[in-house]
Amino acid sequence: MEPVIISMVSLCRHYEMGDQIVKALDNINMEFRRNDYAAIMGPSGSGKSTLMNIIGCLDTPTSGIYELNGTNVAEMDDDELARVRNREIGFVFQTFNLLPRMNCLRNVELPLIYAGVAPEERHERAEQALLSVGLGDRIQHKPSELSGGQIQRVAIARALVNKPSIILADEPTGNLDTATSHDIMEMFGKLSNEGNTIILITHEEDIARFTHRIIRLRDGRIESDERQ
Amino acid sequence: MKQNLQQFRYETAESLKIALFQIRSNKIRSFLTALGVIIGIVSITMMGTAINGIDMGFEKSLSMIGYDVIYVQKTSWSTMGEWWRYRNRPDLKTEYAGQINRIIADNPATELEIAVPQMSTYQAMATYKDRVLEQIFSLGTNQEYLKTASGDLAAGRFFTPGESAGSEMVCVVGDDIASGLFPNENALGKTISLKNRKFRIVGVFKKQGKFLGLFSFDNQVIMPLGAFEKVYGRKMFVTIRVKIKDETRVVEAKEELLGLMRRIRRIAPGKEENFSINEQKAFKSQLDPIKNGIAAAGIFITGMSLFVGAIGIMNITFVSVRERTREIGLRKALGAKRKTILLQFLIESVMICLLGGLVGLVTALLITFTIEKAIPDFPVQFSFTLVFASLGVSVLTGIISGLAPAVNASKLDPADSLRYE
Ligand SMILES: Nc1ncnc2c1ncn2[C@@H]1O[C@H](COP(=O)(O)OP(=O)(O)OP(=O)(O)O)[C@@H](O)[C@H]1O
Ligand SMILES: [Mg+2]
Repeated sequence: MEPVIISMVSLCRHYEMGDQIVKALDNINMEFRRNDYAAIMGPSGSGKSTLMNIIGCLDTPTSGIYELNGTNVAEMDDDELARVRNREIGFVFQTFNLLPRMNCLRNVELPLIYAGVAPEERHERAEQALLSVGLGDRIQHKPSELSGGQIQRVAIARALVNKPSIILADEPTGNLDTATSHDIMEMFGKLSNEGNTIILITHEEDIARFTHRIIRLRDGRIESDERQ
Repeated sequence: MKQNLQQFRYETAESLKIALFQIRSNKIRSFLTALGVIIGIVSITMMGTAINGIDMGFEKSLSMIGYDVIYVQKTSWSTMGEWWRYRNRPDLKTEYAGQINRIIADNPATELEIAVPQMSTYQAMATYKDRVLEQIFSLGTNQEYLKTASGDLAAGRFFTPGESAGSEMVCVVGDDIASGLFPNENALGKTISLKNRKFRIVGVFKKQGKFLGLFSFDNQVIMPLGAFEKVYGRKMFVTIRVKIKDETRVVEAKEELLGLMRRIRRIAPGKEENFSINEQKAFKSQLDPIKNGIAAAGIFITGMSLFVGAIGIMNITFVSVRERTREIGLRKALGAKRKTILLQFLIESVMICLLGGLVGLVTALLITFTIEKAIPDFPVQFSFTLVFASLGVSVLTGIISGLAPAVNASKLDPADSLRYE
């Protein structure tokens, strides 16, 4: 068995909205192993993005324990969290979040800047990452000059550029045609075979079928968790 | 460690790039924001320039009257304006100069070189044909005068011992008088009238400029003492000009002269003297209140505009942080540390201030330049200390005004920020 990388125990994430409490995540107990390739599914508002944010160290649980590589994330300070986000995690956001006024290359370079990579190497690696998602000819384009699918691929390139061990993708294929979606999913499959942990959110069953494990959420709880 | 340093370098380079980009894409906003700093820097440099200029003009003026001359007079320069304190003092006599010279001739250890008598009025009037010059400075002295005063002759000569002893009606005039009475002619050899007495011009001084911008050496008519008395009488203001041997020993020289004068005037020990010994240092203390006034006004204006500027920059940085909440969230999500974000926004506000400071400096330089061209006598003096001081002040303003918004930005929660619309 591969080692456990992510473990959640009685994890809750509540939002207080006035006098009402929204239980976005409610008592989650779950583990991910080193080369897991998992899909999280569930209706809108079931807590998928919230879960991703917590796994990605962007958000912290209201209660419960979240351990990453055996360390309780609650005990890490801000700088350590930033380091983990930079080195260990590649995030593809549901809304992509590219910087609109920078070209693709600069966007993809961003994580490398915070990793302290020298400029020449930065360019090279960012270019490589853009090539691997089929955007080698769009390097100098700004997000506003790209199609939805291309933007999504830039976001994926940025998530991969620092060679993170954990890749978290919030609907990475939402805007892609079937052929490109399948290309991306196969790329993720390859990365998981190389020992990376990949967790993605999707609404499409045929995308989920590329993965080895499907977790279904409903109202902040795990409805099912099946390996295939 | 080395890795950290390198990372810091790359992050700072990135922050600089972002800051420049932000300023370039919000040109008008940046300019308006920096306006307070611009005005502040202009006023701080203009103030410094004025004070420097006053000091410079002062030094120039002092060198005009010489560091090695002290003056015996009825009143003291350091308490100018308090004339009533001296009204009961007896007038000085021009004969004192000769008495002093005789005493120091017998004393080989003396600090004093020579005493020269002077009688003067600044209410004189000179005429040549139908041209009239009023409010000129008329001065009677002897042939030794030039040993105690600066001033080179442009033409002719100073009057001779013979002319001095014979009280001949000859005079040496300053440049303003020569050019005022003889705009298109050579003044040398001409005869001018002072109170209806005819004087022949035997020498013309080179232009010297104004002393402290008030009193002009170019406005003088210098003549033998006896001739002066014939024109203006014996009751005019007397000064004994005393040249000292070593300008580093002014204190000792003053001490000696004080003793001499007490002897000449027969003042009993313990009694206060009824004359004053003046040196240029007295002017310095006169000037301090003016300089302090300019400094106070300058600091007030600078302080106000920098304060307003700082608030403007703080405000705009807060706006900028809010506008770019998503960007901040994203950068944090991708691994930017708190201090990286903090530094990024600090660099932005410092850069705005620094650019404002540079614009202010250039503006101040242009103003200085214009003033210099328009009014050559106006004392202005730009200095590098001022450049560094104002750039330092700009950076400081940037840090102070950017700190609160930058700290705010650095503390933003990445998940919340990424959801911010
Ligand atoms: N910052 C917040 N404040 C209050 N409530 C929130 C906040 N973020 C999420 N929620 C609530 O938590 C629940 C889960 O939201 P989440 O974004 O995780 O859903 P999701 O499964 O990703 O949905 P979708 O498929 O539409 O992206 C929702 O009911 C949402 O309203
Ligand atoms: Mg979502």
